[in-house]
Amino acid sequence: MSLAAEAFVSQMAAAEPWPDNAALYQPLKDDQILLSDCASSLAVQAYLRMCNLPVQVCCRANAEHMSPSGKVPFIHVGNQVVSELGPIVQFTKAKVRGHVSGWGFSSSDLQLCPEGSAVSPQGHSLSEGLDDVQRAEMKAYMELVNNMLLTAELYIQWCDDATAAQITRPRYSSPYSWPLNHILAYQKQWEVRRKMRAIGWAGKSLEQVYEDVGQCCQALSQRLGTQQYFFNKQPTELDALVFGHLFTILTTQLTSDELGEKIKSYSNLLSFCRRIEQNYFQEQERTFGPLPGRQSLL
Amino acid sequence: MAALMDLSCWGGDWGLPSVHPESLIVLAYAKFSGAKLSIQPVDWTWRTLTETVPALHCEGSTVTEPAQILNLLRKQQYNADYNLSAKQGADTMAYMAMLEEKLRPALLHTFWVDTKNYTSVTKPWFSSRCPFPLNFFVPGWQASTALSLILLTKGESPLNSIADVEAKIYNEAKECLNLLSFRLGSSLFFFGNTPASLDAFVFGYIAPLLKATLPNGQLQQHLKQLTNLCQFCDTILKTYFDVSTQGKAMGSANGDHLLLGRHVFYSSLHLLPGGLPVRQDAVDTNLQKLTQLVNKESNLIEKMDDNLRNSPQHRPCGGPSKQSSSLSEKNSTPA
Repeated sequence: MSLAAEAFVSQMAAAEPWPDNAALYQPLKDDQILLSDCASSLAVQAYLRMCNLPVQVCCRANAEHMSPSGKVPFIHVGNQVVSELGPIVQFTKAKVRGHVSGWGFSSSDLQLCPEGSAVSPQGHSLSEGLDDVQRAEMKAYMELVNNMLLTAELYIQWCDDATAAQITRPRYSSPYSWPLNHILAYQKQWEVRRKMRAIGWAGKSLEQVYEDVGQCCQALSQRLGTQQYFFNKQPTELDALVFGHLFTILTTQLTSDELGEKIKSYSNLLSFCRRIEQNYFQEQERTFGPLPGRQSLL
Repeated sequence: MAALMDLSCWGGDWGLPSVHPESLIVLAYAKFSGAKLSIQPVDWTWRTLTETVPALHCEGSTVTEPAQILNLLRKQQYNADYNLSAKQGADTMAYMAMLEEKLRPALLHTFWVDTKNYTSVTKPWFSSRCPFPLNFFVPGWQASTALSLILLTKGESPLNSIADVEAKIYNEAKECLNLLSFRLGSSLFFFGNTPASLDAFVFGYIAPLLKATLPNGQLQQHLKQLTNLCQFCDTILKTYFDVSTQGKAMGSANGDHLLLGRHVFYSSLHLLPGGLPVRQDAVDTNLQKLTQLVNKESNLIEKMDDNLRNSPQHRPCGGPSKQSSSLSEKNSTPA
């Protein structure tokens, strides 16, 4: 989308309150969705829950092709369709909260907000309280996660032949019949491998990728330290993104457990994931639906 | 520990020891950590084609990416990061990722994809540094690599054109520069008073952008407004590279006197405002605006001169237009 169109869309977005029927689209949960897509989707869901914005998760086999940028997840809010965490964060910042009662805040369950969670009125961003240096750090760490964790996930899924043959290609093409499933799977693999070649990851071995993930987790663990969230007591989009990726890696089974082991060696990251899961996904499960986790890819 | 290490890199110009960002990163880090490298510029050799630059040759093994080279130097006990805390080390990784994701595509675009810059600055420079017949295709091959990297990482669907992505990557790059400026604040280096690997990376990416003369340089204009980043570059150049106004190459060059002479010769031929140290200490905003207005006026005067020269009544005379162009270049120096 060009910049002028984006500015226009955010102007329109600012005019309307968040509707009740906002939907988030992702590939099929049990059969089709891959590690990287699930991580991105979970990050967006966590972010929206932190902002107290209700959204319905819809699983569609062609979610990737419906998305305006070709990447999942994407949200359908009112008249607009926005994909990927970065644009969604900007979109929600522009939104103005409508009438409180129109959303159902009167439910007694939701009035009790768990300790440490950010009760943010809509239209406010989670990173409002940060100063410039902190915001720079937050953006830098989000890029670190995107650059390292997401790229490593893509590499392991598509560039490692064992995983690609046993898990990724069958899962990616499961909704389609022969010969479309082969064509789409190999096309996607070719695209991802091309991208890896361009950014210089094609020459890496699997061990090097695991080491990079380990370094990334070490950096995140050192940054988190003993705090509850990355920036003081309030979660931000960085927390949502890190949670999405780490939780998905921990609860997904691949051909080897090494990724999960890397994360488990940092106890503060584990407790961070558990804390966000408890605060944002379990207590509101009745209203928002179950957590899309605990899947085993075998 | 004191193993002999050779570094292959591109040569220098515009007041920098090297114009290639990745090579510059390694050179800066070597200076910060005190490593002694013997520099082998690949200019005018066939290694422009055969070798991935920069490359560090040490005891028979070769390491290529800047991050890997820095790792190797650290293993050889040349560590500029030893007094960083764990959190600062984590911050380094995060900022390096941000530089690569947000700033590098726009830098590649500015130098290699933007037509005006490529045809007037990058391609002549690199072609002149490659032996025949490589000068015909090495720059073109690097340009197409740059374009494909930008499209694959930033293009939203596989077949998007570069025009759609341009605005997005420049916006992200400007935001990244702003964030770096916020983080640097008023301190000398990013982590206190001694430079570390993050400073090397930032310097490597920013210095060519700052010092090159680009006809189409919106990112350069933006960078020049961030005075603390400009000062940061100049401090490093003055302290670690001992750069004089003629654009002399770095001190640890290994006997390439002929190349040194050529560098001095070429850089003294151009009236490069970027070669002079930029004094940004007391720049008033109004003065900046005034200078920009003066520049615009002198550009208009130049155009009028061109029109006059092209009109059939007047014969072409080169004197007044050359004077006005050198005047306008001198005016743009303090900006």
